[in-house]
Amino acid sequence: MPAAASTDPGEVSDLDLVKRSQAGDTRAFDVLVTRYRGRIYAMTYHLIQNETEAWDLAQEAFIKAWRALPTFKHDAGFYTWLYRIAHNVSYDWLRKKKIQGDGEFDDERVEHRVAVGAEATPHGDLAPDTALRNAELGQRIQAAIATLSPEHRQVIVLREVEGLAYEEIAALIPCSLGTVMSRLFYARKKLQEQLHDVYETSL
Amino acid sequence: MKHPSEEQDIIRWIDGEMNESECATFEERLKLDPALATEAQKMRALSASLRSHLPAEIRVPHADYFNTQIEVRITQMALDEARSKHAATSWSAMFQWLTQPWFALVGAAALAVLGFFLLQPASPDDSESMILSSYTPNLRVQARTYHDHDADATVLMLDGLDAMPADKHISGVNIQRSEMEPELASTTMYDEKGAAVFMISHDSLGNPLISPEG
Repeated sequence: MPAAASTDPGEVSDLDLVKRSQAGDTRAFDVLVTRYRGRIYAMTYHLIQNETEAWDLAQEAFIKAWRALPTFKHDAGFYTWLYRIAHNVSYDWLRKKKIQGDGEFDDERVEHRVAVGAEATPHGDLAPDTALRNAELGQRIQAAIATLSPEHRQVIVLREVEGLAYEEIAALIPCSLGTVMSRLFYARKKLQEQLHDVYETSL
Repeated sequence: MKHPSEEQDIIRWIDGEMNESECATFEERLKLDPALATEAQKMRALSASLRSHLPAEIRVPHADYFNTQIEVRITQMALDEARSKHAATSWSAMFQWLTQPWFALVGAAALAVLGFFLLQPASPDDSESMILSSYTPNLRVQARTYHDHDADATVLMLDGLDAMPADKHISGVNIQRSEMEPELASTTMYDEKGAAVFMISHDSLGNPLISPEG
């Protein structure tokens, strides 16, 4: 499962913060929000592909976590637990959106929608032309992901962004290992079709 | 469409989920099947690109506001919870109070008051009311009336009521009648601050209705 953010030696541990939060200390919870908001927001953003909705859903995940804190048993890491909540919140939203049938998530449709304002954590200093090419490719990838169905988008984010093992993905969704692999295959295949110009020239 | 096992092999090879022996066998197959090899290589390149272009952490826009909003909502939830608990306690206490034996007597008295006014003959010119009859559902309660000339008011006396509980201070009673339909009336009992403690009315069949208010 996703690992918790590494903490500095002098930093208060998740365990202490969670215990204080469970006792009603909102300042301790605020520290946890600050610690994990970037990762939770990244996950909701990659799944939702809309900055405003992702922002709201990330908030919703933290609110749900606060309400569910009394039931948190410390048998899993706080981030793993929080991640599950955020994933469920986002995936429920995606499914509702799909049910409403507003034309999104059509795997057959190719649409290049540029994700605006999603400022990624810098990877380091790059030459301007390389940085520009990377930014353009990043936008192409985000646009391609936005056209995937919720099920395909979900496995791509869980595998490629969070690096979860197949068993972990199967437990989180939940579904069989075979389904995870099949979805991963077809999700990648669809992305490949949309980004064929990029990969045909690179090979 | 590929056979599921072939899909799984490609996926597992890309993700490094094969053991050494499985990996060696699959790579031998790739050497013999150029089409499969091209597909697997393309998919692997895509996967590597996805990993490098999809950051696991993104700066949250308006991060301070993000935290503040969460805190506001948590505080609001706590306040709502406290309010609903308080309301539940109040309603529970109110209904508990209504189940006390003495309440039946108070209810009977209120009905008597209601009946008393409803049975008055309409004689707007006469300052002195004439009480024809009175009725109390509870036989322990006796009603009698007289006209107080000094106050220029008709007084209703009810005997046989239990004492009011110490925590309920009913300092006033108001009886309201509909101007259009005089038979529609209600009795409201107030505390010393003018807040309604409860109201008694009746339905179309004449059955008493008790409405806690607070």
